[in-house]
Amino acid sequence: MPVVKLYKDRLVKLVGGEKRDVLQRLPYIGLDIEGEESDSIRVEYSPNRPDFSTDYGIARALRGILEVEVGLPRYEASSSGIAVLVDRRLANVRPFIACAVAKGLRLDDETVRQLISMQEDLHNGLGRRRRVAAIGLHDLDAVVPPINYEGVPPSFSFTPLGGKNPMTIAEILEGTETGRRYSSVLPDSRLYPILRDSKKTVLSFPPIINGNETKVSTSTKNLFIDVTSTDKRVGADVLAIIATTLADAGASLQTVEIKYFSSSEATPDLSPSSMPLDLPLIRSVTGLDLAESEISSCLRRSRLEPSGTTVTFPRYRIDLLHPVDLAEETALGYGIDKIKPVYPASDRPGEFSRQGKRLEKISDLMASSGMVEVISYELVDESSFYKKFERSAEEKVEVGDPRSIDHSILRDSLLPSLLSILSRNIKEEYPQRVFEVGRVYHRVGKKVEERWSLAAMIAHSQASFSEAKMYMESFLRTLANLEVVTSPSIHWSFSDGRCALVEASGRGVGHIGEVKPSVLVAFVLGVSLAGFELDLSNLLPREQLK
Amino acid sequence: MATGALHPIEVRVLGALKDGGWVDFDSLLSGGLLPDQVRRSIEWLLSKGFIDVEQNTLAKLVLLIPTAPELLLLRRLKEAGRPVPLSDLKKDFKSQDEFSAALGRARESSWIKVESSAVGSFVSILDADGAAKLERLLAHLARGAEEDALPEELRPLLPDLIKRGIVQKTEEKSTRVRITRDGLAALEAAEGGRVERLTPDLLATGRWRGKELRPIDVRAPAPRFYPGRRHPVNEFIEEVKEAYISMGFTEIEGAAIQPALWNFDALFTPQDHPGRELQDTFYLMSMEDDSIKREGVVDRIASTHEDGWRTGSRGWQYRWSTEEARRLVLRTHNTVLTVRALESEKEDLRVFALGKVYRNESLDYKHLAEFHQMDGAIMGDGLNTRHLMGFLTGFYRKLGMSEVKLWPSYFPYTEPSLQVVGYSDLAKDWIELGGSGVFRPEVTWPLGVKKPVLAWGLGIERLILLRLGLDDLRVLYDNDLGWLRRRATTSIAGSQTLQG
Repeated sequence: MPVVKLYKDRLVKLVGGEKRDVLQRLPYIGLDIEGEESDSIRVEYSPNRPDFSTDYGIARALRGILEVEVGLPRYEASSSGIAVLVDRRLANVRPFIACAVAKGLRLDDETVRQLISMQEDLHNGLGRRRRVAAIGLHDLDAVVPPINYEGVPPSFSFTPLGGKNPMTIAEILEGTETGRRYSSVLPDSRLYPILRDSKKTVLSFPPIINGNETKVSTSTKNLFIDVTSTDKRVGADVLAIIATTLADAGASLQTVEIKYFSSSEATPDLSPSSMPLDLPLIRSVTGLDLAESEISSCLRRSRLEPSGTTVTFPRYRIDLLHPVDLAEETALGYGIDKIKPVYPASDRPGEFSRQGKRLEKISDLMASSGMVEVISYELVDESSFYKKFERSAEEKVEVGDPRSIDHSILRDSLLPSLLSILSRNIKEEYPQRVFEVGRVYHRVGKKVEERWSLAAMIAHSQASFSEAKMYMESFLRTLANLEVVTSPSIHWSFSDGRCALVEASGRGVGHIGEVKPSVLVAFVLGVSLAGFELDLSNLLPREQLK
Repeated sequence: MATGALHPIEVRVLGALKDGGWVDFDSLLSGGLLPDQVRRSIEWLLSKGFIDVEQNTLAKLVLLIPTAPELLLLRRLKEAGRPVPLSDLKKDFKSQDEFSAALGRARESSWIKVESSAVGSFVSILDADGAAKLERLLAHLARGAEEDALPEELRPLLPDLIKRGIVQKTEEKSTRVRITRDGLAALEAAEGGRVERLTPDLLATGRWRGKELRPIDVRAPAPRFYPGRRHPVNEFIEEVKEAYISMGFTEIEGAAIQPALWNFDALFTPQDHPGRELQDTFYLMSMEDDSIKREGVVDRIASTHEDGWRTGSRGWQYRWSTEEARRLVLRTHNTVLTVRALESEKEDLRVFALGKVYRNESLDYKHLAEFHQMDGAIMGDGLNTRHLMGFLTGFYRKLGMSEVKLWPSYFPYTEPSLQVVGYSDLAKDWIELGGSGVFRPEVTWPLGVKKPVLAWGLGIERLILLRLGLDDLRVLYDNDLGWLRRRATTSIAGSQTLQG
């Protein structure tokens, strides 16, 4: 989740309330306090509230909660007279653009830091790492309108932000870090989007990098903002969040005329939206028995504007999808901490699942026979599961892109995990006897089947087939009066001649044996091991175990 | 004389000495006693005056090499019966050094002489019987003679053989013991009135009357034994299940591998949500659930994503893909099971699902790729946020949290969304417990559910760490046998707050 750093004094000044109240209410508008220093505080905000990506947006919400200013914040924009002409050939590359002008800014270091951090968060969140939407901020005074949003070939060159010499598009994509990181965002079309003005000054090569000529600094007074996107709605959302933030930072907003081939529109569109006010729904979801006027003032504290049967909400509240969302707004306006809990009584008896109970009994029995229960990971590494046993990994079940190769395949047996555990415990007193009940995964045709398995392993200098069999048989008899037959077999963990197939009522249910010396050596174990693994899903009747 | 009680081993040693003669230490071992045990009881018995002990040192000579090289040289010359070229003799020896030594010694003792001529050097015998003493000495030693038994005239040759490593001299200590009169009395007393243990025979014949059990050293350490036991995580899970069941919940279960449809789409999580990406979620590669088709409930879910369907929502405003919904994931939460229960069960529900969930994380002290969650849901008329708070407060009270707070949060599938934090009496601090909320109409309506559903997804491992006083999640699954064997059970289940 994204994090924003707030300077306490600056925030208190933006809100205009008591310092103590301002800081105390942060968690109650949905901000998680990550860390606090004497002059600043870092908070985590939910990705559905990108308007919280700066202290301006957070101050806006706090002003409502603290009743410094309630109801709908209003934003106006006059026309800048600037036009952006869109090249129709970009329709299959990055078709949409939305722009705004913000004039009369006084940018100090902290405001610039807030804006950069907001841009970063919007790129990663709503912009889906620039794939869906990307933002460019430019010094308007270095731009000579009209502006063209046009397609250029990879040989086109300009001086990118922070660069000294012109580079071609191809060079930027292959030769710079930003270029390499984001080149996959653009379709492979030999046509690249460029934003440049009437004097051919390049503002931006979206979504990769800005031009150097229109760079923003603390001396910038007037901003030109572009948001290019593959989804028009998301582009407009992103622009609205930036524009309203800049307005809160003291700028006056102006619109830009976007001219597509067959249509045109003025951006940003900051007009508020509305949704039905469903009072019974709000009361039933929150459990608060509030009069209409109380709900109204709660919503106004959440910076919404109820009026009759509808509620108007500001353009940047892109998270409001359904009238039920007003329930949370009401609860926040009311104060979550003031809501009184009620225990939801029930006259039903609770119930364990049959399978859960069964597996529990099995583990209890194994423990009572003197074995120590272990829990290992289901996601394992190929080496401990296949290479050390010299068995084929053809049937392995892999997961995509694991962060660690130690967790890259789903286990098909519990035995290797038990061996790994014993191998990590060679310093501990022998005899050692361990067991696990867990899920294993088997490839069956094109599908993967999940089964419950029980495995046990005995380690000491005299550990033998016969001891393992004694534990297995006493377990099965105690569990369900089950008698099994063991007949000579082979298995990748056990020595030939000391390995048996375990059968119950003619069905194979597992293997038992003494662990192969080559396997002991592979796991750096210096004592004999004997053990067994039983497929519980096959051993017990269906109704007892699904 | 204060004798104290006789240890059973002392009784056995005294028993072997009963006849009164000297007995070797080694013969005391034949009864199955270990050397240490015998040695210790001899010390005790001696200090009590029950035995006499005599110690002797015996020098032992061991012939390591059967003959000396100079004898070999002399023998070779005798066999030849005439002078032999130096170079021919050399061939019979393992090394130049050995040959030089043999030649040197034989010349020094004047047994032989070496003469040079135009055709080379020749060796011939001077004194054919010169080596007789040495030969006799070696013969004595080969028979295992002791130093004292060697004839006087041969003894001076010995130090040189020892120095050259042909003979090894070792000193062997021998101990022999004899019982004293006090010892005999003590033995009689021990054998007569006291027994080591009650045998079936003693019990059956009634002979136990008049016998005393030998007092034992009750302070002596006993051997250590490790009973079998459950893993602490599973012990805690049992406790959680009991808390749920005591509150009227039914346990539900399901597969770890789930189609994205149920893990994400049914929970109104848009298909391009960052949490659905490979870097956060484990996908099973090149596998899909092709039984998923855009019809019935799937179509209602899809339409809700696209434009809100009939739920009154505006939806996520994108084109929903069946392919994406068919992908298979390792469940990222157990709410996938509660939502599937809602789909199949239309009656009022009160369920929980407890089991492993999977996230593509790098492991560190606060992250695991596999961990447990205890998710639950209640469906019923009139349920609201206050009931959610009421449930969570009651539930955590059973698990040892005196206070629970809900803070606003965000999940795509709940409204309101509330983060659960609890005050731990053990840590004396607030800790994050999980997420909760009321399912959105976008979740419930496509499933045909119109009643309110309260739902939550809660972690387990952090609570276990608190109980155990640990601060690294990885420790729980290290399976350190020392810890699993020796940790106190009360660390998981002993606190009185557990009884609720």
